Amino acid sequence: MSTAMNFGSKSFKPRPPDKGAFPLDHFGECSAFKEQFLECLRQSGSESSACRPRAMAYLQCRMERQLMANEPLEKLGFKDLIDEKSEAKPEEL
Amino acid sequence: MGPCGRGWARCGGPRLPGALWALALGRALPRARCGLWALGGGGPAAQPARGLRGSNPFTRGQEEEWRRRNRTALTYIAAAAVGMVGMSYAAVPLYRLYCQATGLGGTTGAGGGSARIESMEPVQERVVKVTFNADVHASIHWNFRPQQTEIYVVPGETALAFYKAKNPTDKPVIGISTYNVVPFEAGQYFNKIQCFCFEEQRLNPQEEVDMPVFFYIDPEFAEDPKMAKVDLITLSYTFFEAKEGHKLPLPGYQ
Repeated sequence: MSTAMNFGSKSFKPRPPDKGAFPLDHFGECSAFKEQFLECLRQSGSESSACRPRAMAYLQCRMERQLMANEPLEKLGFKDLIDEKSEAKPEEL
Repeated sequence: MGPCGRGWARCGGPRLPGALWALALGRALPRARCGLWALGGGGPAAQPARGLRGSNPFTRGQEEEWRRRNRTALTYIAAAAVGMVGMSYAAVPLYRLYCQATGLGGTTGAGGGSARIESMEPVQERVVKVTFNADVHASIHWNFRPQQTEIYVVPGETALAFYKAKNPTDKPVIGISTYNVVPFEAGQYFNKIQCFCFEEQRLNPQEEVDMPVFFYIDPEFAEDPKMAKVDLITLSYTFFEAKEGHKLPLPGYQ
C-alpha cells in the first residue's frame, strides 16, 4: 500500500485482525448500545477510558445476538470492569 | 621410408633424435610438425598440439600431477563460488525465519493474542489521540464515514470506534476494505482485535450499517524511544468494490 519511492525502507503491511471481522449488523439490533456509547464519547470529550462500560455493553449485545464470537470479557481487556462488577455484586447481596 | 614420406627427409638432422626417441617410446611421430615443415609454412610459429607438450619425458609425469592438482583446485574454487551465490539467495528466507523466531528486526508480527490482551496493563501517562479517516474507491458508490472524528486512548487499553456505511444505490454491492495507519512506525503497535476489514461485506440497496473497530495500542508503545513524540495516530480505512474473480492481495487471512 506504500506509494513512496524509497525501496530501502519497509512498507506498511496491514495485518489481519486477531479475531477476524465483525459480522454486519444488518438489522441494527445493537444500534441502541452504539448510540449510548457515542453519546458517552461526546460528553466525555472523546475519551475512550470513560466509556469503556458502554463499549463492554455493546460487545455483550453483539455476543448475545450471535453477531460476535462468544468470548469471556476478560480476554477482551475488560478484566478490571468485570472485577468491579463481581465486587459490587457480593456487596449488594 | 617413413610415414611422413618426402617430408620426412625435410625434417632433417636436428629432428632425428626426437623422432628416434619417439619411436623408442612407441609414440606417434611428431607428424604435424613434419607436415608443416613440408608445406613450408608455419614452421616455428606453428603451435604444437595440446596435451603433452613437454618434450622432456622425465617431467611428463610431474606435469600430469600438477595438471591434476590444478584441476582439483579449480573444481573446489568453482564449487565455493557457486556455493556463495547460493548462500546469498538463501539468506533472504533464512533471515526472515531468524527474525520471526527471535523477534528481532522490529516487525513483531504476531504480537497479539488473547493472553496478551488479558494481561496487559494500561499506561495511563501516555494519552494518544486516534483520528479516523474513511475513503472509498472511485468505483464504489457507498457513503462511508467515521462516526467519531477522534478518540483519546491510552496504550494497553482496548477501545471501540464506529464507522458507518450506506449503500445508496438500488443494487446490492459487495465491498472489501483495507486500512492504513499513520505514522508508519506506530502501525506495528496498533493491533486490531476485530474490525470489518479484509472480508467481503455486502450491503443491500439503501441499507445503512454500523461498522465497529475494536482495537488497542500495545503497551510497548510507551517504551519505544522512537514513539516518544508520537501522540497522534490516524487510522484510515478504504473500501473497494469486490468484483467477481478479482483477487485482492489480502495479508494471509482467509
